[in-house]
Amino acid sequence: MTVLTAGRTENIAGHPSALMRVAGLSKRYDDQQALADVSFDVPSNEIVGLIGPNGAGKTTLLEAIAGLIPVDSGGVLWRDSTLPVEHRRDSIFFLPDGIRPWQEQHVLHVIEFFAAVYHRPNSVLADTIRLLGLSSVLRKRVDALSKGFCRRLMLALALLTPHSLLLMDEPFDGFDLRQTHEIMNVLRDVALGGRTLVLAIHQLIDAERICNRFVLLADGRVRGNGTLGELRRRTGLVGAGLEDLFLALT
Amino acid sequence: MRSPDTASFRRVPVRPLLAKELREVLNGRALWTMLILLCPLVGYSFFQATSLYGEASAAARDSPAMASGLSPLDGILVPTFGAFYLAVTLLFPFVAIRVLGREKETAALSLLVQLPYRAATLIAAKMAAIAIAWLIALIPALSTLALWEAIGGHLSAPETINLIGGHLLYGLLIGAIALFSAAISESAATAAIITLSFTIGSWVIDFALAGQPGVLGLLSSLSLTQTLRTFEQGLLSTGLVVGLAAAILGFCVLAAIWLHPGVPVRAKLARSLACTGGMAALLVVATQIRLSADLAEDRRNSFPAADQRELAKLNEPLVVTVHLAPEDPRYADLRRNVLAKLERVMPRVNIRLAGGGQTIVGSSTEQSYGEIEYSYSGRSAKSRSTSHREALPVLYELAGRPPPTPIVGEDYPGYPLVAEAQIALPWFFAALPLSIVLAWWWMSRPPPVPISLAQDGGTT
Repeated sequence: MTVLTAGRTENIAGHPSALMRVAGLSKRYDDQQALADVSFDVPSNEIVGLIGPNGAGKTTLLEAIAGLIPVDSGGVLWRDSTLPVEHRRDSIFFLPDGIRPWQEQHVLHVIEFFAAVYHRPNSVLADTIRLLGLSSVLRKRVDALSKGFCRRLMLALALLTPHSLLLMDEPFDGFDLRQTHEIMNVLRDVALGGRTLVLAIHQLIDAERICNRFVLLADGRVRGNGTLGELRRRTGLVGAGLEDLFLALT
Repeated sequence: MRSPDTASFRRVPVRPLLAKELREVLNGRALWTMLILLCPLVGYSFFQATSLYGEASAAARDSPAMASGLSPLDGILVPTFGAFYLAVTLLFPFVAIRVLGREKETAALSLLVQLPYRAATLIAAKMAAIAIAWLIALIPALSTLALWEAIGGHLSAPETINLIGGHLLYGLLIGAIALFSAAISESAATAAIITLSFTIGSWVIDFALAGQPGVLGLLSSLSLTQTLRTFEQGLLSTGLVVGLAAAILGFCVLAAIWLHPGVPVRAKLARSLACTGGMAALLVVATQIRLSADLAEDRRNSFPAADQRELAKLNEPLVVTVHLAPEDPRYADLRRNVLAKLERVMPRVNIRLAGGGQTIVGSSTEQSYGEIEYSYSGRSAKSRSTSHREALPVLYELAGRPPPTPIVGEDYPGYPLVAEAQIALPWFFAALPLSIVLAWWWMSRPPPVPISLAQDGGTT
């Protein structure tokens, strides 16, 4: 499906290094250390879960990676090259949580705006709308959308971008169980289409269902990083779920 | 080092951004509310101005001398557009602030700054939307011009366009200040307070410091309210236009500097300092530009045509030493009637205020106080008159030239008109507001959905 394909071809064969490497990001708000020397790798075409309780620093970390907040130290490498803050938006797109943008505009106009900016053809636009079930609300204003439809709209905007790496903050917030499963399928297809996802999720069950790799975050520090198998080996908890691993590591 | 994946973002269409910004303005309530409020405000000002103009015209019907004093610029345009100025000062900031303020409040800005546009492009698009909003807000004021013509009134195109141009620059300046305020504020309310502190603060400065000597006088000249006065006198001053353009550009650049949330505050402050320095330098350059055009039909900013031609031939430096305190009303008269006109027509004029710190209280008892000394071609002469009728013969004598013969038939005839503007009341209090409400409704209609996008599938 065209909508799920990244704007540029990712050729990961022969590139064992990470698509993106977060290197020593630190951020302090007054007397609170929001991020402390956060480092991890994001391999291509994977779904990486940024896991942590509320206040762990997930949103701050995503904003810092996207270059939307200044950091005290550290940086981001893209295929082993430094990715300056002013060029982050060229490679990374960040979808914030809980925002309702351009509320007085109609849904169709907002979607068409993103499609036009990124030169997305009508077929891609139609596929995105169909995929996220937005046809019925295209004539509605954004401020008249339910929380679930607003979240779908936001996902549609993210899918319309051509970036090979998408950062999403709480992408399942606002969905019921059935809808969460459907959106998970959509995101899996996105990853299969050649894009890499970093999802900040506080629901461990959701994260375990969709993510290939996990970065466990608590108090602004990385407490664990790897696939479920790698985390199990590190903790010695054979057959443990993400919940047990998280409790063991944080 | 640049990301390997950046090449595909180089060519970004600006039209969708402009359309989005325009929708943002047109879909909100602020512009339409302002328009509806403008109708009675401008309409009643026009009605009052026409009534007063009619009364003065009735008195001048049999007197050509009195009739020549009746100019539609002063009698109709300036008071009517004065109401528009009031609305632009107090209401337009709310329209302009929401262009950026809403995006900051709803965090949509975090999406916007990730789009492949430069901050300058984003601000330029927002300014374009603000300019279009200003043009829409101009509709009630423009309709007064149509009504004035319809009831037989006279309009001079150059002075009318000049006045509207001045209001446009003023509106854009307010818009740029509002954008800058929105860029540095977290909420629209704070941005409104900052913008109004500029505009209302200008009124206070203008009221309290106008005519004061020294730094206070310089401060009062920076007041926003001063900007329109030149245009209201039918003068197109290049220096003023350049100064206003520099200020608009400066505030836009400041807004662009403060737009991106990812830039550290220290870096923003350093860039702002550099921008403010550049803006100040441009403003200083603007004050040195003397080029201007008198677009008033009655040529109030120029000497009579024969004198203009003769004075333009005086190429040697003229030094005028004025023994008056800057706050003395006679100095204001002299400035308006003689000095400003001399500066415009003669290539080399140097005006000096004798004793820069003079005040009326301290100096009015001095014998030389009130003297104006003209020095030209190695000779000098003194006068105490603030009228060109006495000053120009002194100049001609210094230059050794005879006064020119006045050109017959060049006098401004004046345009008296005794007319009732009753038609304005139903237009401004009913028809126009109703049309605006209809336009508002029409603009907020849901867009038609193309068939290709109307069919659902996938998730429900």
